[in-house]
Amino acid sequence: MTGKGPRPGAWLLAAVVVLLVAPHVIPTFFVMLFIEIAIVALFATSFNLLMGFGGMVSFGHAAYFALGAYSAALLVKKVGAPMLLALAAGPVVAAAGALLFGLFIVRLTATYFAMLSLAFAQIVFTVIFKWTAFTGGDNGLLNIWPAAFLKSPPAYYYFTVTLVSASLWALHAVGDSPFGYALKAVRDNPRRARFIGVNVRRHQLVAFVISGFFSGLAGGLFAFFNGSVFPDFAYFNKSFEPLIVVLLGGVQSFFGPLAGAVGFKILETFIARQWPVYWPLVLGTVLIGVIVLLPQGFVGLLERRPWRSRPASAK
Amino acid sequence: MAVTTGKREVVLEIRALKKHFGGVQAVNGVDLTVPRADMRAVIGPNGAGKTTLFNLITGDIQHDSGVVYFSGNEISGLPPDQVCRRGIGRTFQITSVFRRLTVLENVQTALLTHHRRHYNVFARAARLYRDEAFALLEQVGLSAQAPKPSGILSHGDQRRLELAVALASEPHLLMLDEPTAGMAPRERHALMALVARIAADTGLTVLFTEHDMDVVFAAARSISVMHQGSVIAEGEPLDVRGNSEVQRVYLGQSKDR
Repeated sequence: MTGKGPRPGAWLLAAVVVLLVAPHVIPTFFVMLFIEIAIVALFATSFNLLMGFGGMVSFGHAAYFALGAYSAALLVKKVGAPMLLALAAGPVVAAAGALLFGLFIVRLTATYFAMLSLAFAQIVFTVIFKWTAFTGGDNGLLNIWPAAFLKSPPAYYYFTVTLVSASLWALHAVGDSPFGYALKAVRDNPRRARFIGVNVRRHQLVAFVISGFFSGLAGGLFAFFNGSVFPDFAYFNKSFEPLIVVLLGGVQSFFGPLAGAVGFKILETFIARQWPVYWPLVLGTVLIGVIVLLPQGFVGLLERRPWRSRPASAK
Repeated sequence: MAVTTGKREVVLEIRALKKHFGGVQAVNGVDLTVPRADMRAVIGPNGAGKTTLFNLITGDIQHDSGVVYFSGNEISGLPPDQVCRRGIGRTFQITSVFRRLTVLENVQTALLTHHRRHYNVFARAARLYRDEAFALLEQVGLSAQAPKPSGILSHGDQRRLELAVALASEPHLLMLDEPTAGMAPRERHALMALVARIAADTGLTVLFTEHDMDVVFAAARSISVMHQGSVIAEGEPLDVRGNSEVQRVYLGQSKDR
């Protein structure tokens, strides 16, 4: 968050080159995996705006992912909206949902914040699941495909990677903005933050809405990637995905969720698909290992900060 | 707008302020008037209601009855962020810095918020109010520590940082709740001398609580003594020291504290 990586320009250039060339040299299977990683990275990074920068742990972020996915899918299905318009509506609807739910959620702290966010997500899930006439219920909504020019995997890959990169850049800028400084101040000491003039609840609510917006974009991107949407997009399993990704990658770093998304999706792809029965066991073991041995997550291996050589205790 | 008593403008005026917690009347009808540029100590035994009084003034807790005026305007009932924006700065009894922000960022955040830039999501905060932040850090002697995360500073330095953060809001009244708690005696006098110097330079009014009587009598221009939720004596340090009731409830016990 505050640390500068070693020669960030060089890293950035290398990343851009790899991302540009990748779809031409790797099999389609991996192109699809890259798209999924990008979407999970966006979902987890938007989640971490709350957790890492805001000190707010949401157990219900699937609500905003699902709102983004379903509003895009419904616009395509019910009114025949063009793909780009439907996709653009996703984050807007998700942000509106985050505003509505957030008004109640940010009044609470810690465990109560987490539980109420979960409760709202379960409401979203239940509405989607039960309202079969509108949402398709358990059957979901099928045939939600991207516009013709984005149909091929490399095209959708470039599209997703561009949008996700722009979104990550925007979220990074939010963290470094005056708003972001005040948000971190609220995280570190809400009482002190109030007494430099910050309206703490309102600040948390704005962060919640920004986070919901980008979670909604992730949901919309996933809807068109997947070609269909299902109620379990809003289920609590989905809510725990960004939490797991952030814990794996590192909550303290902006790029933690990205690193976590890469690790999580690779593990999932090679273990969950080969040995689905053992996947939760493996994930749990890895998670425990990371939490115990690498409290700063995967990025803890990479980042060196002169003032963090002796890790400051969490509180 | 300004209320005056005699020739000095009144910054803070409290009338019949009350607060109870369950059956405990923590603040029981406090009247207090602080003129501009005063350096006022509020003293009293533990449980006298000093911190509760502070938290009532700053809106951290809600009062039961009574009224608080700041520069002639009622502030009782306002939330802390609004009280701060009216021109009151404070530090806390428990050191309160933004631990994972750097020393510089702590002060910058306070400046950004004071100047109402804190909803801006587009600007690069690191570039904003740097000079002003460094000037404040210079004032409290912390400019060399600017790039460090504030959580790793020594206790005394965190106290200084808190002072700089409070000053960033350009307060007219600075409230310090046991500013020297946990500091070595020499550090205590240095910190209060610093506060006194800043106050003298800027015409700032200071209201502080303190347990160390040496510090109080060295730094305060006037003293209000609290006992069981009320102000029982008030005046210049020498008068207060000579007050027999004050000696009975407080000063007489100070040896074994």
